[in-house]
Amino acid sequence: MIAREQRLPRWLRRSVVAIAALALAFMILAPLTSIDTAQQAGLPLLTDKLWFRIATTVAMFVVLASAWNIIGGLTGYASFGNVAFFGLGAYTVGVLVSNRGWPFALALLAAPVTAALFALIVGIPLLRLRGHYFAVATLGVGVAVGEVVNNVGPLGASTGLFLPIVRSDLVFFYLMLGAALLAILTTWIILRTRFGYGLLAIRESEEAAAVIGVNTTFYKVAAFCIAAALTGLAGGIFAQWNSFINQENVFAVSDNVQMILMAVVGGAGTVLGPVAGAIALTLIIQTLAGGGSAAVYSQIGLGVLLAVCVIFIPRGVIDFFGGQSRLSLRYLRQTLRETSA
Amino acid sequence: MSQFIQQVILGLLLGGVYVAVALGFSLVWGILNIVNLAHGALVIVGAYITWFLFTHWHIDPFLSLPVDALALLVIGYALQRGVINRVIRAPLLFTFLLTFGVNLVIVSLLLLIFTPDFRSVTPSYSGSGLQLGSVTIPYIRLGGLAVALLLAGILWTILNRTRTGAAILAVGADRDAAQLVGIDLRHVYALTFGIGAAFAGVAGGIISTFQSITPTAGDPYTLQAFAVVILGGLGRVSATVAGGLAFGLIEILGQSAPGLGSGFANAIAFVVLVLVLVVRPRGLLGRLA
Repeated sequence: MIAREQRLPRWLRRSVVAIAALALAFMILAPLTSIDTAQQAGLPLLTDKLWFRIATTVAMFVVLASAWNIIGGLTGYASFGNVAFFGLGAYTVGVLVSNRGWPFALALLAAPVTAALFALIVGIPLLRLRGHYFAVATLGVGVAVGEVVNNVGPLGASTGLFLPIVRSDLVFFYLMLGAALLAILTTWIILRTRFGYGLLAIRESEEAAAVIGVNTTFYKVAAFCIAAALTGLAGGIFAQWNSFINQENVFAVSDNVQMILMAVVGGAGTVLGPVAGAIALTLIIQTLAGGGSAAVYSQIGLGVLLAVCVIFIPRGVIDFFGGQSRLSLRYLRQTLRETSA
Repeated sequence: MSQFIQQVILGLLLGGVYVAVALGFSLVWGILNIVNLAHGALVIVGAYITWFLFTHWHIDPFLSLPVDALALLVIGYALQRGVINRVIRAPLLFTFLLTFGVNLVIVSLLLLIFTPDFRSVTPSYSGSGLQLGSVTIPYIRLGGLAVALLLAGILWTILNRTRTGAAILAVGADRDAAQLVGIDLRHVYALTFGIGAAFAGVAGGIISTFQSITPTAGDPYTLQAFAVVILGGLGRVSATVAGGLAFGLIEILGQSAPGLGSGFANAIAFVVLVLVLVVRPRGLLGRLA
């Protein structure tokens, strides 16, 4: 992984202030974006429910990209199976709420637990693999879990699961926002502990890390489980928010690619990189997502954007902030030369 | 019993398709160290070329295979030379993402050109088959298997009996050393990817004869190619052949197991895949870990 860990104290202070300001702005402005609240208060309508949906989606991808960053960015294990944790979290809530009649709040607590347990079980054998092999194996797990869920009767099989509809944009927005803040905070804390240094050591050289006394298996599995728990939490919230889940909407491999893309474009291995990537890319994707041929052009645009980002700014856009690099022709030429044949 | 034999034959025929799909994928992975997520899209480009030639000029699908190969050789060469060579020394995640982007662009372009409608190639002999007792072997699938094995032979010959092949293997073994002895890395990278794409195109031509094609029909084939290479092992043509045939057998026989059905095709395949990775990461016949 090319991305570096940021060390500048000023940069740190700035990032904390930035997070706080963003969160505050969200919380203050959020109610204004709800039609009902705005009308009651007689305030000018900022936007409509669509915007609310987008904001919640943005928060969701902040969770997913940050969680992926813990295993992919910090530990250096490119997981293509994180979507399995999302799906398992979603189905945990789905089954408990709609089949067992649990209250949503209680079921939501079970979602990260299920996802983390699953990560523990598959992580112990799979984290022995490296590079492409780990990527492929996790991809396989993601596809396989989705397909099994799709074929098991009590889980709704291919029809999917319906949950009782809860109409409250605000609740789900705040839940997702809370999960996003939790994911950011978790990454921030990890990077400041012995555990985090161990993960970075594994990323740089697993043999060297083992030699200096890092219990690599434990560290890797723990990072995998933390990522899984956060992803499962987002899945659980999504299940109730969307009130309908099936294989296609919670086990989509393309979602997994999107979270990786967000983390990498933003800057993998940093606290705020994945956040920036998730916000920017989700907004782009949601704005471009239209019907008909517009959707096709947006896909082409996304593909080209992806190629340009990967080729020219492999360290992510976060590299331009905090005085590490400046966006210039020389920078682009240099990154290009570093990786070209 | 005859049902079991029929299943085995169907499995091997399906395996032949997987061999054809995986040969190019395995070559690109082994030599360039790129897991090409656009492989399935290249397969479908080949399928559309065959469909176009069949529908508009009534050219037999098997005769259009060389056209597929040539067209994809050019496309693949240009793609590697112009785009993918730019990240060839970056960490693997970047080549993953780049090829995913390429996949997105190719699929979208196909959608624009050919629309999302289902297209199929139906030559006059597509319904008939060889009858051996109670076992039926569709001619078209038999032709596919034959072409797949022919492709494997061609690839083996290129790699082991030509100067170009020697250069490709040298680059795969050690880039810097290959450059030192005067091999033009950029050209060999592009040529390797081009050959991989050409094989994908031929595989697409075969696929169009027994399956309706849409622009997105290629994605599952990328995953299957993955699985085949892992199952067989990386770095040998014979390993890809063994992996492909084994994978086809596992898929067909697994589906007929009690309690499972066609809905579990991918799950069975990937459980096997993960088991192979954990128990024998080199694959059945592979050289590299």
